[in-house]
Amino acid sequence: MQVTVKLYASFRWRLFHEAVREYPVDAMVSGVANDLEIPRGEVGIMLINGRHAAWDDLLHEGDIVSLMPCIGGG
Amino acid sequence: MTTVKNQSTNPASILYRRCIIDLANGSATLAKVPCKNLEDVLGGFGRSFQILAERDIAKAYSPENPLILNTGLLTGSNVMTGLRSYFSAYSPLKKSSAGRPAAMWSAGSGNFGIKLKWTGIDEVIFENRSETPVYAVFRDGAAGPVVELKPAGHLLGLTGHEKIMALSRHYSDAHFAVIGPAGENYQSVYMGAVVLSTDNQLKSGEPKSRFAGRGGMGSLMGYKNLIAIVAQSPDKLDKITPAMRDVNRDIIKNGGSARFQPVSQGGGGGTWANIEVLQAFHAVPLNNFRPKGNDDVERLYRDNVEKDFEVVAEACFRCGIRCHNNLFHRNPDGSRGKLAAKFDFEPLILFGSNLGIHQSTQVTELIHLCDQLGMDAISLGTTLSYLLEYNERHPDRPLLNGARFGEFERIRELVEQTGRGGQEALGKGVRRLSEQLGETSYAMHVKGLELPAYLPDTNPGYVFAIAGGHMSMGTHMLLAKEGKKSVEEWVQAITTGGLLQVGYDMIGLCKFVGVGIGHDLIVNGIREAVGLELTSAEIVAAVRRAYLRGLALELRQGFAEDEYTLPSQVLEDPNPNLTLPNFIDGEFLEQLRQRVWSVFLPEMAGLLPARES
Repeated sequence: MQVTVKLYASFRWRLFHEAVREYPVDAMVSGVANDLEIPRGEVGIMLINGRHAAWDDLLHEGDIVSLMPCIGGG
Repeated sequence: MTTVKNQSTNPASILYRRCIIDLANGSATLAKVPCKNLEDVLGGFGRSFQILAERDIAKAYSPENPLILNTGLLTGSNVMTGLRSYFSAYSPLKKSSAGRPAAMWSAGSGNFGIKLKWTGIDEVIFENRSETPVYAVFRDGAAGPVVELKPAGHLLGLTGHEKIMALSRHYSDAHFAVIGPAGENYQSVYMGAVVLSTDNQLKSGEPKSRFAGRGGMGSLMGYKNLIAIVAQSPDKLDKITPAMRDVNRDIIKNGGSARFQPVSQGGGGGTWANIEVLQAFHAVPLNNFRPKGNDDVERLYRDNVEKDFEVVAEACFRCGIRCHNNLFHRNPDGSRGKLAAKFDFEPLILFGSNLGIHQSTQVTELIHLCDQLGMDAISLGTTLSYLLEYNERHPDRPLLNGARFGEFERIRELVEQTGRGGQEALGKGVRRLSEQLGETSYAMHVKGLELPAYLPDTNPGYVFAIAGGHMSMGTHMLLAKEGKKSVEEWVQAITTGGLLQVGYDMIGLCKFVGVGIGHDLIVNGIREAVGLELTSAEIVAAVRRAYLRGLALELRQGFAEDEYTLPSQVLEDPNPNLTLPNFIDGEFLEQLRQRVWSVFLPEMAGLLPARES
């Protein structure tokens, strides 16, 4: 299935901002991160279609997955 | 502090070294004081607030209001980031609706704190005020600390950086805490910062100061005619043990600090990255905390700013977390030129998009000016943005020079004038200004302290912050990170984890260590640095008591129930441009308050000394 992946901040600088990518039908958010070699510990925020998601949430055809790094401080 | 490895953790067996200076008569007394409880042991505001609680202070600018300078248990130790010093007092800026000043503290890094600790002093209480401008010198003497007060007339009018460099020419092996022109003009500037020197600054001659900004502690120094403080001592670092090396390696390797490391090292690039993440939700403050849902703020993204400046990642003294993003001008030949400013999230946004300014060259100039004049960037930036909105709303009767969003030259003029004492409407903060004007709904403060660069629409935790809004209640990114929006989730966040943020303002470490205050790393660090065997639960309990004592002090200083709220615009006119859930309404806040107070009030009993009625 095709999923749009959006990356932010340090993920964007390293990889890309937005790309449509092909994943197996039962892919999860973790699969996207693993595919991009982004370690779990670096991922701060995960969204599916603009809503907060979890590492093992399933994806569907046409979903937009957003991955953002950990942020902190002020 | 006098501690012995493996000694009893009975607080009374642990002594800290206090100096009391009476600025009125120039006397200085030194004493070793036994700790009363673990909050005293941990230090910082945990100790200073116990001293402040013993005082009945109705006016900040009164001789009875003490300025307390202290350090934390781990300041000056080999634990990485152990540099912090703290300034506490009843604040000239933050006041209750009853008119009484709030107890506040402000924290800063740089090298001043460790030098003070190495002179043999853990805490200084500055009582009363001097009739003439003076500076205090603490020196490591052969028979113990030596304390002097010296005339400071020659320092008046200099910027914070200029004062530091002038003093450094006379005092070797020393570091400095000074005020800028803003603090000197304390009558019209309540948001004066304390400017702290760094080794980078003294070596390079560049204005790379750090700041204890919040709450107007620099203004209080100005009121006391205390223009600067010198701490002079050779460096006194113990040999680093293998166990200490493990602690510091854990600080670097754990996920908490990685987000602050340079991008080139695989880190998150510091707090600058917060802009892009929050922009994904259109939650970056713009035009007085009112995002428009557009992409204006993207001009301040790192990769855009790098077109104009060379960005160099630097660190504090002996710190492996290179979180400083220092911007340097480029010379015509492409080589590195002068330092323009340090880009942290707060000043970047509060002097940038929140004022309608999106050119990095202009933002750096405003940050630099605020720093040189010695003002708190958060309080100034947030007061300015209120003024700009007022002028937008009232084009027929604008205030001051009529500055509106995006008008850099007029904004710059206001910053300069405020820092030199010429604009008390701004210098006294947004609460006073908005109440004077009778338009308070869009004044971005909670309990009289200006909000940092996280929208109040996203953080009901601000209501229970007892000092800086995001540094004394760690809930400011909770909605963006986790999407939490129920009363239950926020009660839990405020009453358990969020308040523990203040623990770092006790023990002397930087919050960018990035782990909870009860983490094993902290337990191990304390054991290795000072030989105290404390459990995580003991540390957490002491931090909790210190926080609740601060909250109790607020109530005693007259903060009324209706002040525990957010700016009314959040409730009356929610911003439709945010893509985060709009979950805060009157009912939510009412339930939140009831539930949080039901947890806190019983625990607050007995934390303050009894008062005669």
